[in-house]
Amino acid sequence: MIDINALISTIMNNQVNIPLLQPLLDPLLGMPVIGYIIALILWKPFFVLILIPGFATMGIMLLILPWIERKMVGRMQWRVGPREISPHTRGIIQLLADSLRFLFQEVIIHKDAHKLYFLQFPFLYFIPVLLPLLFINAGTAGNPLVPIQTDYALQIMVALISLMPVFILGVGWASNNRFSFIGTVREAFLYFAYEIPFIVVILAMIVLYGTSNTVGVIDKQSGVWWGIIQNPLAALTFFIATVMATARLPFEIPEADQEVSFGPFVEYSGIAFGLAYVMGYEKMYVLSAIMTMLFLGGGSGPVIPGLGDLSYGIWFVIKTLIVLVVMANLRGVYPRYRLDQGLRIGWGAMLILALIALGWSIVVMGVRL
Amino acid sequence: MKKVATPEYDIKDKLKHHVSALSTAAKEVVMPLNVTTQYPRERRKMPDCFRGYILFDPERCISCFQCSFVCPANAIWMKEAPSGRYYPTLDYGKCIFCHFCVDTCPGGALKQTKIHDVAYKDMDEMFTLTEEMIEPPEIIREDEGYVDYVIDKEDLSLKRTKGIDKLIVDVAPSQGVPLVSLCVEPENCLGCGICEGMCESGAVSSLKEDGMVRMKIDVDKCTGCGLCVKECPMQILRLFRE
Repeated sequence: MIDINALISTIMNNQVNIPLLQPLLDPLLGMPVIGYIIALILWKPFFVLILIPGFATMGIMLLILPWIERKMVGRMQWRVGPREISPHTRGIIQLLADSLRFLFQEVIIHKDAHKLYFLQFPFLYFIPVLLPLLFINAGTAGNPLVPIQTDYALQIMVALISLMPVFILGVGWASNNRFSFIGTVREAFLYFAYEIPFIVVILAMIVLYGTSNTVGVIDKQSGVWWGIIQNPLAALTFFIATVMATARLPFEIPEADQEVSFGPFVEYSGIAFGLAYVMGYEKMYVLSAIMTMLFLGGGSGPVIPGLGDLSYGIWFVIKTLIVLVVMANLRGVYPRYRLDQGLRIGWGAMLILALIALGWSIVVMGVRL
Repeated sequence: MKKVATPEYDIKDKLKHHVSALSTAAKEVVMPLNVTTQYPRERRKMPDCFRGYILFDPERCISCFQCSFVCPANAIWMKEAPSGRYYPTLDYGKCIFCHFCVDTCPGGALKQTKIHDVAYKDMDEMFTLTEEMIEPPEIIREDEGYVDYVIDKEDLSLKRTKGIDKLIVDVAPSQGVPLVSLCVEPENCLGCGICEGMCESGAVSSLKEDGMVRMKIDVDKCTGCGLCVKECPMQILRLFRE
């Protein structure tokens, strides 16, 4: 039998503190049913997971990020970018319009596709993408904002992120198309090329911080001693690995529109294509959030008066957005590498950089001890 | 043998190039140049000599067939009018907009415009009859301004001006290249007199010599219209520059 009162007191003792909204929330908390719902939403782990920087923020990012990307890359290339839908807001609802179109389009499943897996995998992909959000710490030193505290948080995150390409491989296999096969094989090649430096870099940061608990990771980045200052090589390698993992230019090798026309997702149409389209952006968001947490000091920043705990969340989202925008804008700067060039970068330069970063961490740890 | 190889860059060059690419991108994000014309709402200002839709003035036409001769795409076909004269028709399905016909017209009957956005429902409609070439086609104007592409020292930039750009240009009618018709092989002349009958300016005259008819072309009267050249059965007449 669950003790309801103990549960309620657990929730009430761990509330998000927002001084500015407190006068508004107090009367609501007093109400019978609404009070419990508000209390649940303001329960720290729940608040972090659902609102900032969890699902709600991710949803907004998914709607806005493609627009930011298209607009900024358009400016780089002397174009205008999306404009015709709502010209007064510079076309900000473009993706909303696109997703509406996807929603009402016919989903074509061709004869040779494995129907079950073909429809399943874009949905199943949400599992490894959304679960890392459970361990992301958006707080600062001494003020953790994390849904689940565990000593194995980083390891679980790496495991879940390593699981993502498996779903893409499944998508490509179920599509049963020559282009999707080529894209899938390229994805598999790249997977090993970036995954090993990625794991080595995470290992370097675990060595540097002496813990894999995300609360401890943020605690070790107090003041200006962010991870990127403590180990810049690891940050660079992590960033390149993130770009490779999300198949963004210049490593858009598996999806290469001009060669294999969106690779593993070539057979998708309608809302299934919409899901496949946001898959990359979901992965980008999660990896950028991890980068913010590991290297950019989480939610640390000048405290915004009156917002309390929300201030950390806002700083965390701003930093994540900056990482995302930089990553998205590489599209306007670099052309695509060939597969062999991508593999050479992964197995060559990145692996060397990652190993140097690991050595650096070990040396820094040795000096500290 | 010289082999072509990829340029060798050391790590310093590579870093320099990466930084240069990224900083250029950042500069363009902050201060972008823009070369997009929002077409139906504004038009690009074309120069007056733009080779667009061709208008026709029957008053100036001397039915000389020059446009039809010169057309490299065989788009101009001369059609007989009720008056017995021949006027050009233009098939825009074939026209390549070289405007040789406009340049070659001795009377300046064909005239260029800046209209470049004409739509047809089918291929047959693209065959434009003489009477349709006299008036410009109906255009629905949505534009409120026009755009000038200005090339300054560094880059290309746009200059936007309010107001409607005039698509029908006022240019002096082409004077054409002054040409005269001359007989290149008088010994092959049949003396049929067709050229004399065709000539509208009375430059060709016939005279009897030793019991044979000889044709004579008065260079001062010849307008260089080329009607006699077209009609000569022996094809011994040519047009020459004056």
